[in-house]
Amino acid sequence: MYVIITYDVNERRVGKICKKLKAHLTWTQNSVFEGEVTKGPFLKCRQEVESIININEDSIYYYIVENPKHIRKEIIGEEKGQFDCFF
Amino acid sequence: MRRDIYLFSNGRLMRKDNTLYIVSEDGIKRAVPVEQVENVHLFGQIDLNSALFNFSGQKEVMLHFYNYYGFYTGSFYPREHSVSGIVTVKQSDHYLRKEKRLFLAKCFVQSASFHMLRTCRKRGIHGYESVQIITELSKNIRDAKDVQQTMGIEGMIRQHYYRALNELIPEEFTFAERTKRPPRDPFNALISFGNTMMYTSVLSEIYKTQLNPTISYLHEPSQKRFSLCLDLAEIFKPLLVDPLLITLVNKKKITSKHFENHDGMVYLNEMGRKIVIAAFDERLQQTIRHRKLKRNVSYWYLIRLECYKLIKHVIGDTPYIPLKAWW
Repeated sequence: MYVIITYDVNERRVGKICKKLKAHLTWTQNSVFEGEVTKGPFLKCRQEVESIININEDSIYYYIVENPKHIRKEIIGEEKGQFDCFF
Repeated sequence: MRRDIYLFSNGRLMRKDNTLYIVSEDGIKRAVPVEQVENVHLFGQIDLNSALFNFSGQKEVMLHFYNYYGFYTGSFYPREHSVSGIVTVKQSDHYLRKEKRLFLAKCFVQSASFHMLRTCRKRGIHGYESVQIITELSKNIRDAKDVQQTMGIEGMIRQHYYRALNELIPEEFTFAERTKRPPRDPFNALISFGNTMMYTSVLSEIYKTQLNPTISYLHEPSQKRFSLCLDLAEIFKPLLVDPLLITLVNKKKITSKHFENHDGMVYLNEMGRKIVIAAFDERLQQTIRHRKLKRNVSYWYLIRLECYKLIKHVIGDTPYIPLKAWW
């Protein structure tokens, strides 16, 4: 499945969340990560992120697209982070 | 879905924020989600430190190194995480007993020749003389008395097979014979590079199972390499690599400008390697419907299934039937 995660958290935790998500998904914009993952790794990622946040102050949005083919991404301006297999 | 990444540029690969970072020569840092990486293939000149090795060991990411010419150097093989004494003992037992070893060796060669014929049939050259000879030779495999004989038949089959392949590729690529270490002409360079990629893919799949990659049956285990990879790769080379290369040269995706010649030693340049890898990677992710499992499996997973079948065979569960592509 294809997942887009956006987060709006207290300044103190922004860095932590960002670093954690970097290990799982591709950074696309400030406070936005996305990528194709399977169920297990996604649950692991969620659990790790949710152990950092404070439910009363922060919010995390998960946009889950079951079939990655059903997503069309259009980018205007500069593309910030892309992930392909060649570097 | 974990995948492989290929580093061609020079720079530094490092551990930072508990993930991988690639720092290019001009200082641009890029984070790579480590949870999505299965293997890292290093082609460029890349600096690494022990912190990275420790980290990739922990995350079970394998690092494969290739030299300047794209030849396989070695791998960083993290601590075995799935070990089974029983499987190792039984695997050795099957090597030590002559008839058991011969059975497995024959299986690999049979499957390999089946796939060679399949490739020829699919390309419409099954009537050619050299293909006819392969058909004849593959009948002899059953009667081989020992592993050396099996290897001999395999060698002959391969010679005729490469002769047949010549019919399928454009004239500029025709080659007289298979040369390796070093390859002497472009198509040999392509085959060598494709096989290299196949070996490392098989190695990383074997790594996920309990098999010991050094105990092999067709090849001698003393070859200073992970020789079980060579055994299993026999099955997949004519199924995956060769059709891919034929397609690449016929569609003119690979042309003579993708090769470099150094005193008779021919190898692919960076652009050429990227094209082959991209095609190879795409092919490995293609899926086919598995008859027994009743679901779609990728070519990647087919390699792993072959390992599982081998385990089941050595521990005496179900006899090994080598893969014969049914699609």
